Amino acid sequence: MALTLATSWCQSLRSSPPDAAVSGAPANSVTGASFNFAPDDPPGEWHSQARDYANTRYSSLHLIDTGNAARLRIAWTFSDGTQGGHEAAPLIVGSTMYVVTPFPNILFALDLSKPGEPIKWTFKPNPSPAAKGKACCDTVNRGVAYVDGRLIYNLLDDHTVAVDAKTGKQLWRTKMGNLERGETMTMAPFVVGRKVLVGNSGGEMGTWGWIAALDIETGKEIWRAYSTGSDEQVRIGPDFKPFYDHMKGKDLGIKSWPEGMWKHGAGSVWAWISYDPKLNLIYHGTSNPSPRVPDQRPGDNLWTSTIFARDADTGMARWAYQTTPHDRWDYDGVNENILLDLPIKGHVRQALVHFDRNAYAYTIDRTSGEVLLAAPFAYQNWSSGIDLKTGMPMVVKEKEPHPDVKLSNVCPPDLGGKDWQPAAASPRTGLVYAAIFNLCMDVTDNKVGFIPSTPYDGMNIHRHAAPGGNLGEFMAWNPATATKVWSIKETYMTMSGVLATAGDLVFYGTADGWFRAVDARSGKILWSQKLGSGIIGQPVTYLGPDGHQYIAVEAGIGGAATIHADLIAHAGEDFPAGGNTLYVFSLGGDSQ
Amino acid sequence: MSYQYTFGPAIDPITRLGWALGIVALSVVAIIAFLLIGGVFRRRAPSSQRLAESKDAGGVSWIYIGTGISSVVLIGCMVWTMIVTAAVSRPPGLPALTLQVTASQWWWSVRYLSPRPEDVFTTANEIHIPVGQPIRIELMSADVIHSFWIPQLAGKMDVIPGITNVTWLQADKPGVYRGQCAAFCGAQHAHMALFLIADTPRDFAAWREHQLTETPPDSLTEQGRQVFEAHCGVCHAVRGVVPAGVRGPDLTHLMTRRTLAAGLLPDQPGDLAAWIVNPQRFKPGALMPAQLLSGAELTAVTQWLSTLN
Amino acid sequence: MTFSKPIASLALFLFLNACGRDQGGSSTTAPAPSAPAAVPLGQIAGASGSIAALSTPNPYQDNPQAIEQGKQLFGRMNCAGCHAYGGGGNMGPDLTDTYWRYGGLPIQIYNSIFEGRPQGMPSWGKALPPDDIWKLVAYVQSLGGAVPVGEWDHARQGDRPGEYSAPEASGPQNTGPQK
Repeated sequence: MALTLATSWCQSLRSSPPDAAVSGAPANSVTGASFNFAPDDPPGEWHSQARDYANTRYSSLHLIDTGNAARLRIAWTFSDGTQGGHEAAPLIVGSTMYVVTPFPNILFALDLSKPGEPIKWTFKPNPSPAAKGKACCDTVNRGVAYVDGRLIYNLLDDHTVAVDAKTGKQLWRTKMGNLERGETMTMAPFVVGRKVLVGNSGGEMGTWGWIAALDIETGKEIWRAYSTGSDEQVRIGPDFKPFYDHMKGKDLGIKSWPEGMWKHGAGSVWAWISYDPKLNLIYHGTSNPSPRVPDQRPGDNLWTSTIFARDADTGMARWAYQTTPHDRWDYDGVNENILLDLPIKGHVRQALVHFDRNAYAYTIDRTSGEVLLAAPFAYQNWSSGIDLKTGMPMVVKEKEPHPDVKLSNVCPPDLGGKDWQPAAASPRTGLVYAAIFNLCMDVTDNKVGFIPSTPYDGMNIHRHAAPGGNLGEFMAWNPATATKVWSIKETYMTMSGVLATAGDLVFYGTADGWFRAVDARSGKILWSQKLGSGIIGQPVTYLGPDGHQYIAVEAGIGGAATIHADLIAHAGEDFPAGGNTLYVFSLGGDSQ
Repeated sequence: MSYQYTFGPAIDPITRLGWALGIVALSVVAIIAFLLIGGVFRRRAPSSQRLAESKDAGGVSWIYIGTGISSVVLIGCMVWTMIVTAAVSRPPGLPALTLQVTASQWWWSVRYLSPRPEDVFTTANEIHIPVGQPIRIELMSADVIHSFWIPQLAGKMDVIPGITNVTWLQADKPGVYRGQCAAFCGAQHAHMALFLIADTPRDFAAWREHQLTETPPDSLTEQGRQVFEAHCGVCHAVRGVVPAGVRGPDLTHLMTRRTLAAGLLPDQPGDLAAWIVNPQRFKPGALMPAQLLSGAELTAVTQWLSTLN
Repeated sequence: MTFSKPIASLALFLFLNACGRDQGGSSTTAPAPSAPAAVPLGQIAGASGSIAALSTPNPYQDNPQAIEQGKQLFGRMNCAGCHAYGGGGNMGPDLTDTYWRYGGLPIQIYNSIFEGRPQGMPSWGKALPPDDIWKLVAYVQSLGGAVPVGEWDHARQGDRPGEYSAPEASGPQNTGPQK
C-alpha cells in the first residue's frame, strides 16, 4: 500500500511539468504571467478555499488531463443533510476531507483512507436560528480554513470557531458581531501566519462593515478595521498612499457621507482575501454602501465598494481603490483579487486581477493601487468607461436610479457581471478563468428608513437576461490585454467557483446542475455531468490515499442564484430544486 | 392683508405690478363710472331739435382717444408683466443654497444640500435661510399634489409626484415668514403650514452648524430616549439615536422649532405631550397614530424630546 | 314640490354622513397591546375543537383605504426588504402562498408581527400600535394566501375547500361498535 503510494507520488512529481513559480512562465503561456504559490501546500491536498495566498485556485495535479477527462465518472458522494445553497469547497488535509454545511454550519470530517469515506467526527455548533432571518442571500457558508491542526470557520450568527482537526472538539469560539445590528458572517476565514482574518456580512442591512484579525491559538482579536468612519476606525495612517486624488484626505470615511450616515453605511467584508508574502500586504474588498438608495446618501460613500491593500500584521491600510464611487446599483467590491506578476507593454508589473460586480475587469498594480487596465467583461450600460487618469468611472446619467422612478434595463443588475464566485488562474496558459453573468435589471428605488436588524435596502428589482438571452457564461480572460480569449454561453446562471489544473483543464458548474471540464487553451467542453442540483460551490482536486486524482464539488443550489424566481428563463424547463450532496469524480469512477 | 407687503426679489416686482394693475383697474372703473354718470345726467336738447340737427356731434373722437389711451395702457401693462415674469423666473445670481423640500400629507421634509456631503442634513417644517441671498428650492412630493407657497417671498409652485419642480426665493429682511400648502391635498390640507426664518448670515451659519450636531446621551433622560427608540424610531429620525425612520418628520433639534405638526401647535412640552398621546385630536386623519404609552413612558419621552435643542 | 327642498337637503346630509371616512384613529376591537390573545399555534391538547380567540376578525379586512395604508407601512417598515415588494418572499417567507409556519389566520398573522418569530422576524408590538398592525394584516390578507376566519382547523390539516372528505376522516374515533 505504502509502496504504491510512494510510486504514484514520485511519478506525479517526476512527470510534473515545469510549473511557473515566482520566476518564469512556460513558453506557451499566452501572457507570460507568473504566480507565487505560497504557502506551497502539498499538491495532493487542499488546505484553504483559494488554494494559496495569491488566490490562484490552481492545482499542479495532472493525472486528469485533456486526453482522459472524458472518462471522469462519479466515484463517491456524500450528503450532508442540510438545506440551503452550498457555496464552500471541501478541504483535504492528509487523508481527511473536511466538509462544512450552510446553516446550521455543521462540520464533517471524512476518512478518505477507508472504503466508503466514513464520517470520522461531526461538529455541531448549533448557531442561533435568528441568524437565518438576517442573511440577505441564503444561509450560506463559503468555507473553512485550516492551519496547524485547527479548522477555523464562521457561523452565521457572528461567531468564529476553531475546531481540532483530529478530534472534532471546539478549541475556541469568539463572538465577533451582533445579530441585533443585522450583521451575519458567511465568508471563509483567511489564514496569514499566526493570524486568521474574518469579516462580516450585511450590506443590505445597514451594518457597519469590518475586517478583523484573530490569533489562531486563542481566538482573541488583534485588530479590527472598519469600512467607514474616521481614519483611526478604518486603520488609515501615515503609510496610506492611495494612487488617485479623490481618495486623499482626512476622515473621508465620514466626510463622504451625509451627517451620521456612515454609521450604518455597510462596506462589509464578506468574500475573499489574498496575500503577498513579499510585500506583506493583504488585499480585500468591501461591500456596497447602505442604503441601496443612492439619493439618500450623496457623496462618494468611502470606503464602500473599495479594494484595500493593508499591512498583514497591523491591518493599517497601504492603498485603496474605490471601484464604484457612490455606488448606485449594489456593485460590491468584494470579489477576489488574484495576484500575479504580469508583463504589460514590455514591463513586468506586480499586479492583481479583479473582476468587479460592476462588470469591469481590472488589472491593478498591487504595490500602488494604480489601475493599469480596466475593460468590461460582461454586458454593461451603467458607465461609458473608466478614466484611468482619475480612476473614476464615467456614469451614464440615464442609468442613475432615483426614488419612485422605474428604470428599465440597467446592466449589470445588483448581482453584477460576476458575483463572489471565484475565478481561477493557470500559470501554464497565463489566463484567468471566470464564471460570469449576462444579466440586466429593471429597478425602482424606494426611500427607506433605518430600523436596526431590518433591511436598509429599498431596491425593487426584476432581473432578466441581457442581450443574447443566456443568463450565464464561462470565459477565459487575458489580464495583460484585458480581453476575452474564449467563452462558453450557458442558458442558466453560472455561479460556481472555478478550478484550474496542470492537466490544462478548467472546471465549472451551472445553476441547473451541469458540472463541466473544459480545455483551458481552446475552450472546448471535454466532459459534462448532470448533478442532482445546481452548482454554486467551489470545485477542488486532490490525490486520494490510493494515488488517484479526484475532483470534488458540492451540488446544492441556493445563494443569490434563486433570490428571484422570475429568473426562470428557459421555456418549458423548471429551475432545479435544492440539494446537499458532495460529488467526487475520478477517471472511470475508480476509488478504493 | 399683510401678504400685500413682500420682502424679496422673487415677489417684489409682482407686488409692484399688482398694485399698479390694481390702480389701473380702479382708475378705469372710476373713469368709466364718471363718464357713465356724466352721460346719465348730461342735459340734452329736446328731441325735436335733435332730429332737425342731424349732424355729427363729434363723438367719434372720444372713441379714438379712449381706444388709444386704453391700448397704450394695456400694451404697457403687458410689457411690464412680461418683464416681471422674466425677472422672477430666475434668481439674480447663483443660488447660495439649495434645499430639497419633500411634501407629504401633511408636513414638509427639508433637506439641506451641500457640495460637501458631510454638511447634508434633514429637518422638517421649518426652513432657515440667510438674508439677501437667492435660495434654490427643489420640490418633490411623497404622495399627492401639494403646493409650496410663502406669500411674502415668492409665488406658488406646485409640488407634483413624479416631477421635481424648481423654484427660488430670496428674503431681503430678517424675520419669520409663514408659508402654507396651496393645493388641496387631503383632510388636513388646512393644517399644512411651514415657517421660513431668514437669519443674518452669521446666525444662519451658526444654526446650520448646530443642526449638524448629534444628540448626546444623557443619563437623566435615558429612559425617555429608550422609549423613543422603541416606540418612535421606526418613523422618526433623531441624529445620534440609532433607529432613523423616514415615515415622519426628522425630529433632530425639535425644540429649536417654533411649532409642531406643521404649524399647528406651539412647540411647548405640554402641547408636545398632548400631540403624542393623540394626534388625531388635533389633526384627524394624520398618519401618526395615537400612542399607547403609559403615563411614565409619556412623561419620560416628552422630557427627552424637550432636551432636543 | 314644496317638500323637495328639505327632502333634498336631508338626503344630501344622510349621504355625506354615510361615507364613513376613516379617521385614522377609530377604535377597534383589537387585543390590548401588552397581552396578545392566547392564540395557539398548534392544536389544543385534550380539548376538542377551536377556541374563540382564533376567530378574532381583522377590523380592517377588505377596507381599501386600510389595505393601501398597510401597503405603505409594508414599504416604510422595511417588510419589503425581507418579504420582497409584493410579498413574494426572499430573505423572509412568501406571504402570498398558503403555507404559514406560524398560522395564517388574521389573528395569527397579527401575533407574528406583534411578537416577532425565532428565525429573524422582528417584534413590532412596541413600535407599531394595534391599528397599524391590523392594517399590515389587511394588506397581507389582500395578497391572497391568508386563512379565512373560521377555517383554522381545515387549514391546519391541509384541507382544501370543496374537496371530497371520506366519511370517517373527521369526527370522533373509537366510538365502539355500531349497534
